[in-house]
Amino acid sequence: MAERSQQVLLAEGLARQGRIAPAVTACYQALRADERDPLVHCLLGGLMLEEGFCEQAATSAARAIEIDPGCAAAYFVLGLAYDRMGGMWDRSVLVWQELAEVVPDLATAYVQLGEALCAASFADEAVAAWRRALEIDPREPRAMYHLAVAALKREGMATALPGFRKAGELDPSQDEFFFVLTGYDVDGLPTLGMTEIEADRTSRLRAAHAFAANDELFKAAELIRLVLGEHADDIEAISLMAHLYLKQESVNEAMACALRALTLSTHTPTAVYALGVAFARRPALADHAAKLFSVLTTMAAGHAMPHVLHAESLLALQRYSNAGEAYRAALALDPGCVRALFGQAAVALTVGDHTGAEWAIRRAAYHDIRRRGYFWGPYDAAAGGREQ
Amino acid sequence: MKEGVRNVTDDAALRLYRALVRHDPAAAISVVERVRADGVQQAALFDSLFTPAMAILGGSWADGSINEYTFTQASVVADQIMSFVTPPRSAGDTGIAVLIGSMHRDLHDIDKNIVAATLREAGHRVVDLGSDVRPADFLHRAEETGARIVIVCAQMVSTARAVLRVQEMFLSAGRNDLVLLVSGGPFVADERLAREVRADGVVRGAESAMRLVARAALERLAEGRP
Repeated sequence: MAERSQQVLLAEGLARQGRIAPAVTACYQALRADERDPLVHCLLGGLMLEEGFCEQAATSAARAIEIDPGCAAAYFVLGLAYDRMGGMWDRSVLVWQELAEVVPDLATAYVQLGEALCAASFADEAVAAWRRALEIDPREPRAMYHLAVAALKREGMATALPGFRKAGELDPSQDEFFFVLTGYDVDGLPTLGMTEIEADRTSRLRAAHAFAANDELFKAAELIRLVLGEHADDIEAISLMAHLYLKQESVNEAMACALRALTLSTHTPTAVYALGVAFARRPALADHAAKLFSVLTTMAAGHAMPHVLHAESLLALQRYSNAGEAYRAALALDPGCVRALFGQAAVALTVGDHTGAEWAIRRAAYHDIRRRGYFWGPYDAAAGGREQ
Repeated sequence: MKEGVRNVTDDAALRLYRALVRHDPAAAISVVERVRADGVQQAALFDSLFTPAMAILGGSWADGSINEYTFTQASVVADQIMSFVTPPRSAGDTGIAVLIGSMHRDLHDIDKNIVAATLREAGHRVVDLGSDVRPADFLHRAEETGARIVIVCAQMVSTARAVLRVQEMFLSAGRNDLVLLVSGGPFVADERLAREVRADGVVRGAESAMRLVARAALERLAEGRP
């Protein structure tokens, strides 16, 4: 297969930089050179979709599929275009089913298929699709959110809530929030080898945070132990340890560490967060969790996540209208907060507002796709396959 | 141990901590029971006893007084005694029986399921009749279960209007003591519809259901009826 032309590479580069208009121009130039290049049609479709021109996106994606029926990214664009146009669930279902056949291990295809099936009122089939997505990728948060909403519809909030929490934990935004609270820019922290780390508190704690952010929990714990060996009352170290225990599902150990940190200083947002999360995992302690998260909304003003966590604990207390207010506060701070949007959908369902719930879920899907850059995965796979 | 013993509660927390690190659930429960016998309410046990003990545990782990294994095992024991110190998970039984179901020829059940689960969680005895329930079945099940509050759900105008047949059936059977609440989009959109079917209230969601059921139960009590 031919390599990508300079025009295609230019269009891709511009698209990746978010420079949509010049990228579209570059695509048209590339098509003038080779009208039968499926990747260019696919890319053009993706760009059109990005700008909200769904019909044009569908046309380009359909052309890409016509030329290359194995072009997974084009199915992705076509399915999303149908979804966003609305009222075309029958076509949408077919596209997502075809994508699932073209790339059987793509969890997103099943998440989208579930959404299309649900919108077409095939509730049981939708649940099966989301379950399949979780079988493929057990860390797929949107599938879990959908299953939680499905559980709410069938069995009520008490059954649904653990699902919402689990989805929240899979959602990268919760860990990101913890590291925001720590004040460490973990994205900018290099993960060093254990022998490269300077033997001082600052270096060890920086490295421990970097390891924790990369899920290298045991290395992080080892460094924390060294820090505590020199100063047993190091609040930062103890709070980080509470977070590590939470990551390992050791709730009581996390609770003990967070309580110790708060004994040393009540003004420790990371410990308040860890203790709140530990309490939230015990249904009987929902009231305690709600109080802590309420405090956290003040401690971490300007962040959506404390409001979301507060809202979830209010849901557990059956204070649905208060939860709705908390979700609104979260969305005022971050309109693209996927977890808050699913929560808002749950609250809408408790008052029988199905249209509101559906709208919130569609917005959640839209923002989830944007933040996770789903398009580029299948696109790069297709482009990579061409280079070989 | 660096923690000072300042009062009786601190002392009890320290004893609980010691039971935890000795991996002795029986001793831990005995501490809890003694504190409860001293007059501390169940709802307060977690904050006054368990939380300080866990803070001491965390401190001991941090300063190296106990090792990782002891810390983990103590946490396992803490888990074992958790139900002795936490407030009750769900509300206690209110004794109020509520009958709920979707009207005949109405298969919508999402709102009904959410309302039923919420009321159940709030401690009410909910009998869910499911969907597509005939008017006569509401009456028969009310008599069977002794429920005084009936929630009829209807999501279509035709089925919402048909709720009148449920009320007529109640009245013809001399059951004017039953409280008829209605739920569903048509009733929320047009309040006259609820009056037409002679409903005692409109459920506008799960929280609204809790309020209406609580109010209906209070009114029954005020009238001297169970």
